[in-house]
Amino acid sequence: MRGVNLMANIKQENVARVIDFLEQNKNRDGEVSLTDVMHLAEVMSGSMHDFLSTVQPTVTEELKLIAKEITRMKEEICQLRANDMTGNKIPDAGRELDAIVEATEEATNTIMEAAEDIMGADTSDTEAYQELVSNKMISIFEACTFQDITGQRISKVVTTLNYIDERVSSFIEHLRIPEDLDAELQESDEERRKRELILHGPQHDGEGVSQDDIDSMLMGAQADIDKLFD
Amino acid sequence: MALDLQMPVLVVDDYKTMIRIIRNLLKQLGFEDIDDAADGTEALEKMKQRRYGLVISDWNMEPMTGYELLKQVRSDSGLSKTPFIMVTAESKTENVIAAKKAGVNNYIVKPFNAQTLKGKIEAVFSE
Repeated sequence: MRGVNLMANIKQENVARVIDFLEQNKNRDGEVSLTDVMHLAEVMSGSMHDFLSTVQPTVTEELKLIAKEITRMKEEICQLRANDMTGNKIPDAGRELDAIVEATEEATNTIMEAAEDIMGADTSDTEAYQELVSNKMISIFEACTFQDITGQRISKVVTTLNYIDERVSSFIEHLRIPEDLDAELQESDEERRKRELILHGPQHDGEGVSQDDIDSMLMGAQADIDKLFD
Repeated sequence: MALDLQMPVLVVDDYKTMIRIIRNLLKQLGFEDIDDAADGTEALEKMKQRRYGLVISDWNMEPMTGYELLKQVRSDSGLSKTPFIMVTAESKTENVIAAKKAGVNNYIVKPFNAQTLKGKIEAVFSE
């Protein structure tokens, strides 16, 4: 509103000066000299000077604020350490998880091999059988040491996730992004597949339904299942 | 339908370790003819070549899930009567309902024990 009034005042003042100029030169039969043009330009630029001198400090202040905000955002982005995250932390966490899968698989195979050997062993020679069982049991205990190492690897992954969580949370907080400003989620092909094929993956304790619940659902009448839709 | 320990059983899972576990448990229960497949597509191909007395399948597999396999089996007139047990970590109510509606004979949640597997197989063949 202030800007609009200012413009209106300038226009009136400007028009008044132009009218004065024309009044003073009306008897000159349309003869316009370079001096006249220069004078008119001076009148116009004088009025523009008033306008600009009023507006400039406000615009400069706004530009300073924008520059300050851009600098602050750049600092926040630097604090995010995105390159470190994508170049080191996340790949490292991925490698730890791969190693966990590998270790658990190796341990499982060792344990299963031992169990299969015991199951298929000849029991007629008691002494040999006892020795075999004893050796296989030691193999099983040895294989179980994977738990200590995988525990440490999982701790490293958890530390990385906490690091990312802290950085991103701080970034969101400093940028003052409102919670309801999230962009609309675009469903990826994988997400669509998971939804259509009802793929949720394993549930935590207390989530999902137990085997007893499933048994009662399957053994019970269809009506029990239908009730779940009510 | 009587339980016949001589009948061929098809175990479908994308984890070799799980196939190995189920295979060993089935052997302990007395089954001898045990075949396996790594996903629904492979299982379906094997089922079209051989008549299995029981299918024990995981749910979450690529490219064809156990749920899709179940629906394919039930819609195929030559395979539709095959007993089908789902053995899965998918334990949401909607999964159980979907499987039931698709015609699953029984549903086992991982992790499970030998007694549960035995009980469910016996239940399927006592229907």
